[in-house]
Parts: sequence; C-alpha cells; structure tokens
Amino acid sequence: MANTKKKRGNRGISRRDFIKGTAAVGVAAAVGSIGFPNVLRGAAPPEIQIGNILPLSGPLAYLGNQLKNGAVMAVNEINKAGGIRSLGGAKLKLLDADSEGKADLSISGVERLDRAGAVAIMGCLQSAVTIVATQVAEKYRVPFVVSVAVADKITERGFKYTFRLQPRAAQMAPQTVKFISDIARQAGEKVKTIAYIHDNTAFGGSLSGLVVETAPKYGMEVVARVPYSPRSADVTTEVRKIKAAGADIVMASGYFSDGVRVFRAMKGLRVRPKAFVGCGNGAYSDQNFVKELGDMTEYVMDGNYQANPNSPLAQKMFDHYQALYGQKIPPSAVFAYEPVYVIADALERAKSTDREVLRNALARTNLKKHVLPQGPIVFDATGQNKNAQIALTQVLGGKIRVVWPEQYAEAKLVFPMPS
Amino acid sequence: MSFTYILQTLLDGLLMGGIYGLVAIGLTLIFGVMKVINFAHGALMMLGMYATYWAFALLHIDPYVSIVITIPILFLVGVCFQKFLINPIIDAPEHNQLLLTLGVSLFLENIVVFLWSPDYRVVKTPYEFVYFYIGDVSISLLRLLAFCLAMLVAAVVYLVLTKTDLGKAIRASSEEPSGALLVGINVRRIYWTTFGIGAACAGVSGTAVAPFFPVYPTVGGIFVITAFMVVVLGGMGSVIGAFIGGLIVGMADSVGGLFFPGAMKNLLSFVIFILILLFRPTGLFGGSK
Repeated sequence: MANTKKKRGNRGISRRDFIKGTAAVGVAAAVGSIGFPNVLRGAAPPEIQIGNILPLSGPLAYLGNQLKNGAVMAVNEINKAGGIRSLGGAKLKLLDADSEGKADLSISGVERLDRAGAVAIMGCLQSAVTIVATQVAEKYRVPFVVSVAVADKITERGFKYTFRLQPRAAQMAPQTVKFISDIARQAGEKVKTIAYIHDNTAFGGSLSGLVVETAPKYGMEVVARVPYSPRSADVTTEVRKIKAAGADIVMASGYFSDGVRVFRAMKGLRVRPKAFVGCGNGAYSDQNFVKELGDMTEYVMDGNYQANPNSPLAQKMFDHYQALYGQKIPPSAVFAYEPVYVIADALERAKSTDREVLRNALARTNLKKHVLPQGPIVFDATGQNKNAQIALTQVLGGKIRVVWPEQYAEAKLVFPMPS
Repeated sequence: MSFTYILQTLLDGLLMGGIYGLVAIGLTLIFGVMKVINFAHGALMMLGMYATYWAFALLHIDPYVSIVITIPILFLVGVCFQKFLINPIIDAPEHNQLLLTLGVSLFLENIVVFLWSPDYRVVKTPYEFVYFYIGDVSISLLRLLAFCLAMLVAAVVYLVLTKTDLGKAIRASSEEPSGALLVGINVRRIYWTTFGIGAACAGVSGTAVAPFFPVYPTVGGIFVITAFMVVVLGGMGSVIGAFIGGLIVGMADSVGGLFFPGAMKNLLSFVIFILILLFRPTGLFGGSK
C-alpha cells in the first residue's frame, strides 16, 4: 500500500492538473464523450498528455515499472529536443494509470485518462488487460497504441483506434520456428523435433498452438506440448515430461518467475537439447535472468520482440537507459519507448491534438527512423505494425545478444549448444 | 508409463508435500488457538524467504543455516502482529479479523515492493544441481534438505505441543480459553507465543524453498492457497493432520500432473479433498467438537 501511495506521488497528475484538465473538457464531458475532441481543437496546449496504463503494483509490478521507465525516457528525450515542433514546441506529458494487472481497473484507467484529456493512450503489458482497455478506448475514440501485448485478437476486432507495434502472436511464433530452421540449416544440424513447455494462459497457449501449426512447414514436429500453471508451486512433473520427450529443441514460453523455475528444473533434471529456445519468453530476454542464474543460462536463445542493436538510434537509447537506470534496456521497455516516438511523429504530422486527426495521422504512419529490427513502421488496416519482426537472442558470455536475423545480429550465434 | 516414473512422481510430490505441510502447520496452529484465519501467512512466508535471501546475499550465510536468523525474526514479527493487531480485535466477528489479516498481507507485500523493489531474486547455492540416484529415480539435494527441514520443524512443534508445559498450556487455551484462564494460564501470553511459533513456521518454510524458488513480494500466495486446503483436509487445528495433509496434497498434485495438463493437475488433489470431507467432514484428524 505504501507503494501505491508512492506511485500516486510520482504520477505527475496533481489535483490542480486534474482540475485544470477537467475544466478544459468540462463542456464536452457534460455533452458526452462525442463532442469532446472539438474543445481542444486548434488550441495549442502547453502540454500534450499521453496516457500510460500499466501494472505498476501487484504481481507484475516488476515488468510494469520497466515499461514505465522506457516511456518516461522517450518523453523526456522528445521534450529536451524541443517537443512537438508543429505545435509550437508543445511538450509531452505522461499520465500514469495503474492497472494492478487487472482488466477491470484498466476500464476506469481509460475513463480517467479520457477525462484528463489524454490525446492517446499506451499500454498495457498483458493481453487480457489490453483487450479490455482497447475496447473502452474505442468507445471513447481515444487512439490507443499498444506497447506490449501479444494476443492476435487485439487487432482482429476491426477497431479503428487501436494500433500495435509489437509483433503479434501470429508473427512471433512462425518467425521463431522459421529462424530455428534457418540456424539449423546454417549449422548443418538436423532438427526434427520440438518439445514445448508453456504457461497455460492465453499467452503461452496461443504461441505454442501456432508453433505446432507452423513446424511441419519447416520439416519439424512438436512431439510434446506441456502446459503448466504459473501459479503452481511445483513444475517438476511437467519438466519430466519434457525430458522424456528427448526432443532436439526445447521451446518455452512464460513469464519471469515461472520461466526461472522451469529453467532451473530443466537444468536440474539434465534436459539437454541442441538448444533452449524461448518464444516471447519473459525470462530468457531479461538480463536479470542471466544475472540471477549465472553460467547455466549460457547459450539460451529467445525469439522475442527486440531492439535493433545495429541502429544508431537504438545505440543512443541503450546508452541513455544505461545512464539513467544502470542496466541494459529490457525489450519490454523498448516497446514502451518506441510508441512515444510513434505518437510524437503522428502529432508532428497531425499538427493538432484533436484525437480524430491524430488517429488518422497514426493510421498513415510511415516511420523509417526507429529502434526496431524491421523495415519502416507502417500500420495495416487492422492497426498492426505490418513489418513487425522478432529477433533471436542468445546469452553469450553473460550478455543477451541479438544473433539472428544476420542483418541485425550483434554477435555470432552458437548452435548447437556445447554440452 | 513405467513403475519408476510413477515412483519418481510420488517422490517429487512427497518432498514438495513436506513444504505444504510446514506452511499449513503454522496456519493451523494459529487457527486452532485463536480461531483467527491468518491471510497474512503467505506474506510471512515471503518475509522468511527475504530474510534468507538477504542473509545469503549480504552476509553469505548458507540458506539452510539462515534459519537461525529467520526463526527469531519471524517469531518477533508474529508476536508483534498478535499483540498490536490481532489482540485488539480478538473478540470481533470473524470476517473483521479476516479483513485485518488480509490488510496486513497487502501491507507487507507492498512494503517489500517499496523497500526492495518488485525484482525477482534468486538464491544460488553451489550444491544446487546435486542429485542422488537410486536406480533411475533421482532426488534433488535441495528438495531433500527442504523436506528434512520441514520434518524437523514439524517434529519439534509437535513435541513442544505434546510434551512440554507450554504445549499443554497452548492446547488448554485452544480447547477451553476460560478454563485455562481459571487454572492460572496466562492466555494472552499463550496467544502471542502461539502466533510467534506459527509465524516462525511460515518463515522456515520460506527458508526451505528459497534455494529453489525465486524470491519476490507476492510469492507467498502460491503456497498459501494450497496450505488453506491442507489445513481443512487435515482437520482445522490439527498439527499432525496439517503435515499428513500436506504430504497427501503434494503427492496428489504431482501424480495429477502426469495425467492432466496445466492447472488441471490440481484436479486430483481437489477430488481427494472433497472425498475426505464427504466421509470425514471435520477433516482427517479433526476432533468431533
């Protein structure tokens, strides 16, 4: 509870700001949400507010705060560089809303941000929460740029105001399978079988389902697919099933804490595939995974959303984050960082803080300078980042490095992993 | 499915069951004496894990040796918890006590987030991957140690309850508080001692799992839900029942994992739970009071 209080202090929306914001939209609020954008039209406010819904307390607070850091950093960078030029150098301002990881709280979060006058909202880290939050944002016609949330459904509902940068499940899982087959071919190794251990939520379930579908296209087969509950205290039985499968590749999806437990159990029971490959794994792409578990994580790979280490912009981002928070920017924070630039770019082109105009500008996004390992950021008709691409990382010498595709690689991959 | 595979599964479950048993003992003890359902038990266990983690990270004390730190700290926390928070509302309706312990649990979890960040921490021991083999059946040293620790503490608690004057006083206060008061037992003192012991049990369970379980603020919830079931299954207030119940649930979960995927693996233990309650509504070792 102390934490929530502290968060509230940091939130940057004081009572006075709130009253100011409410007053500005007072008329609109009285008429209803439809008339609302008109009030702000034309006026160049000193601050442009962007909402950010994240689990800042509760079990996912760890990841939620990482994402917050990424977004805060981007906002500060943009403001320092002169704000939004086409709007007279207007500064951006982040409004936080704590979802506590719960979908119902994200509803009131969106409503609050809407009333506070946010021109756009970002969020929410969890698919289940994002599905609900985007729906509410659609109702209030607030552009919603999804930072992290993988479920396909989010952009499959014909929403006009939802945009997503992150590769969705239908991009992430097949790309990971393709990359596995690519690296196997390059190394001259035969890879026929995959054993997949995953969390039993929509996250792991959908990814593993897609892998099962895609694998045969690349001459592979998923011989074991073992779901586990992240809330169960013991995963030994599940890991024994993976060991019994004796597959060439062991794939894993999950969040951080359960990812760590599954991995330790696999090492303990001497599961020895040619490679451990995560798919959107909350642990394998997190530097803390390496820091806490040490040597045993060497050569672990993960197919996940990543920054492009070879982009000069990303280098700047890495350095800045390192200086501010004393660690390498985690990929989740990258995907909270880039949306701020996407929104800023749209604002720049929209020359307006009208949500309708901003929404149309977002839909026409064609951002070539960015930090992601992909071509230009372009949204398709559903609002999904069309060119979104994952990258394979590998733990090498205690550092998580991008190793595939080759054009984005910062280190040479090791496959199969030495025993 | 071979015989060794099933044996292995049962053994995995048994070792984990010892932990469930120990968590449940603390819970059942507190319930038995004060009739307070302690929702903060998971948070107390989490504090035990953090105590072990910090003793290990800062003082380089072996996690299993750190019980010499965990037990006194958690005992003290338990005593303060009882004296300053539970005692004032000991006669209040049950749901109010429930809310209080739930509030304390939220408070503890969030104060830990505030103090030590929500980061996941890992206690790494040099003997982490030591395994013993009996034929094809493997036993992890960490799990075995955790189990032995749980057994040991459970045995000590049991002996204290049955063989010592303190134990007699605790049992007397549990069964007949006003009678105990009449024969000169300081029931208030017994209350805070019991709460201290219960909290220390939670702390030791935290210590026991810390070497193979990541440490983070909300970790207690994972164990405490199972512990509630174990307490009811073993008979509310029964220490032996809690331990045996823990073993049963541990093994049932493990075997369930063989046949059912994901969260469904708890199906078997819930079926056993319902069956036991059908035929023995007061739980395995519950009295017929």
